[in-house]
Amino acid sequence: MLAIRNLSFRYLTANVAALTEVSFEARRGEVLGLLGPNGAGKTTLIAHLSGLLPMQSGDITIDQQPLAAVRARQPTRIAVAPQEYAFYPSLSVAENLACFAGLGSLSGSDKKSRIAECLVFSQLERYASVHADRLSGGLKRRLNLAIALLHRPELLLFDEPTVGVDPQSRAFLLQAIKQLAQDGCAVIYTSHYMEEVEAIADRVVILDQGRVLIQGVLTELLNASGTLLQLAVEGDESERLQTLLSPFGEVTRQGAGVQLTLASRRSFAAVIAAVNAANLVASHVRFGHADLEQLFMSLTHHSLRD
Amino acid sequence: MLLALMKKELLALSRDIHGMGALFIMPMVFIIVMSMALKDVYTPATKSLAYAVVNQDQGKTADKLIERWAVEAGAAQSLPEQWQDEVRSGRLKYVLLVEAGFSKVMDDLASKGEAKARLITEPGLDNSVFATNRMRLLAIAAQLRVEGLLAKLPRKFNTSALSGDAPVTAERMSVGPRPTAVQQNVPAWLVFGMFFVVASIAGLFVEERACGALSRLRSLGAKPWQLIVSKIVPYLGVNGVQAALMLAVGVWLMPEIGGEGLSLQGVHWGALLLMLLAISLAAVSLALAVACLVSTHAQASTLGPILNVLMAALGGVMVPLFVMPAVMQKIATYSPMNWGLEGLLNVLLRNGDVASVLPQVGRLAGFSTLMLLTAFMLFRRRI
Repeated sequence: MLAIRNLSFRYLTANVAALTEVSFEARRGEVLGLLGPNGAGKTTLIAHLSGLLPMQSGDITIDQQPLAAVRARQPTRIAVAPQEYAFYPSLSVAENLACFAGLGSLSGSDKKSRIAECLVFSQLERYASVHADRLSGGLKRRLNLAIALLHRPELLLFDEPTVGVDPQSRAFLLQAIKQLAQDGCAVIYTSHYMEEVEAIADRVVILDQGRVLIQGVLTELLNASGTLLQLAVEGDESERLQTLLSPFGEVTRQGAGVQLTLASRRSFAAVIAAVNAANLVASHVRFGHADLEQLFMSLTHHSLRD
Repeated sequence: MLLALMKKELLALSRDIHGMGALFIMPMVFIIVMSMALKDVYTPATKSLAYAVVNQDQGKTADKLIERWAVEAGAAQSLPEQWQDEVRSGRLKYVLLVEAGFSKVMDDLASKGEAKARLITEPGLDNSVFATNRMRLLAIAAQLRVEGLLAKLPRKFNTSALSGDAPVTAERMSVGPRPTAVQQNVPAWLVFGMFFVVASIAGLFVEERACGALSRLRSLGAKPWQLIVSKIVPYLGVNGVQAALMLAVGVWLMPEIGGEGLSLQGVHWGALLLMLLAISLAAVSLALAVACLVSTHAQASTLGPILNVLMAALGGVMVPLFVMPAVMQKIATYSPMNWGLEGLLNVLLRNGDVASVLPQVGRLAGFSTLMLLTAFMLFRRRI
């Protein structure tokens, strides 16, 4: 549906590029997790898709049509639910929806019924006449979602949609976004919360310093990232443990223990045998696939939330 | 798209209670308060000033002087016992003190007496009223002296002509209504109120930008020119309502509360509408430029009113131009509010037609163009 090819962009006043040769695709019916620390280029990328930034080099197409042409003909095919509360706080929920509905092709009874549908989908019926600035954080996020859905977009961009919401609203939003993908939308979801992305994304693209570090199906990426063994031993033996395990894979110090990335699960028995042979007594052992956060750290050597 | 954007703008404005207050209530209050406060500056009520007479002379000439004084100044109040304290405190505006021997001095040129008729006023009496009264007293004394001299001549003259209308006159060259506090204050505070859209537009615009709604509008396909025009048109309407309301206050409300009414007799309506449109466009354009310049709501709510007050102070809105020194009058010609005010005064005081306001309309149109270009360039960079 959406294809981005070699997209590069540099702000006029910046010394370094915000995006360099970025390429990926987003497909109908799936959620694409777009990950990266602050300054990775996510906002710049979303600004391009929203039509807020001119393209400098590269291509963006929607169903093989240039993005600019699609936006000129039918800008409402793409909708953004930005991180900010992008609505008018002094207007009621219904007035906000009516205001944004009136900016597209909706009118008359179609407009009314679509507003009603969006109110139902985002579970805001009871709050239709409440001024937006009196809504809780979670309800504000739902209103943001409802506005984004008004024009039945085919591509939905969610930029940190769960910031500052309670667990119930977060669960509702994630479920709703998953539902939208199942209904046939292409969804791009950016977040700092790894567990959210792991929960709803089918594929991920990890950006850092304006470049795509890795992309693919989430489960395949996690499987391919190797097996992690986190190990701590009694006594002040971390340094000896690090030296002992280094022939088995990449070892990094982690708190009182170490983290070892194993190329194969089969090495596990050999590692434990080596620890026993060295007369070290394990105090903590954790073994399994890397999670997204660990994958990201192994790629960039810094945390996603830095 | 444009209609939906305009509707949204009006809806947002209608919810901005403080903004509405600043746009409609504030200029109305200013018109009422300032017109009442400055009433006497334009029409000094010398007849209504409380005064008393101390006649220590009791001669015929002194009596004549007091009698003629009363013709212009109205009847004197009875003299309080401690009249000096009353004058000092301002409860009595002045006392006409005729010293003993005044009649003798007036009637006899050879007399060496130094008795005088003295005008003793309260400390805070307006300078122009003080000078007017002093000159009036001099004129009456001069008349009395000439009459006394003529009476002594062998040939008899008709001296009654001296105390009647002198063969001199002073009148304003005007085809329109007489300049009054209302006639000056309605256009002045109307211009001020119209320019107050700066704070309102800038505040709403910054809020719209900060909350991301503006980006959302752009992503929905709204073009920069549509967003700018959608803000101009509703506020032209707001300015129109302001103008109608302020003129109504001047025409109907002011006479009801003891002020003078605004006269629209002989006003050229085409010229008035053209001036109002030019002022409105200048105000909205400045508002958009400021809105695109500032980054935060705090900056918008500070810069807007500061600009307004500065332009008003320099432009003759707060202090009428004619009481300013020459250098300030020169500076005033650089304030867009002054262009608007001068144009409106042209129409409301001098019954000026379209041709007579074209210089002001031209300046305001140039200013609007400059501000709109600035706003457009900044807008594209901001989004």
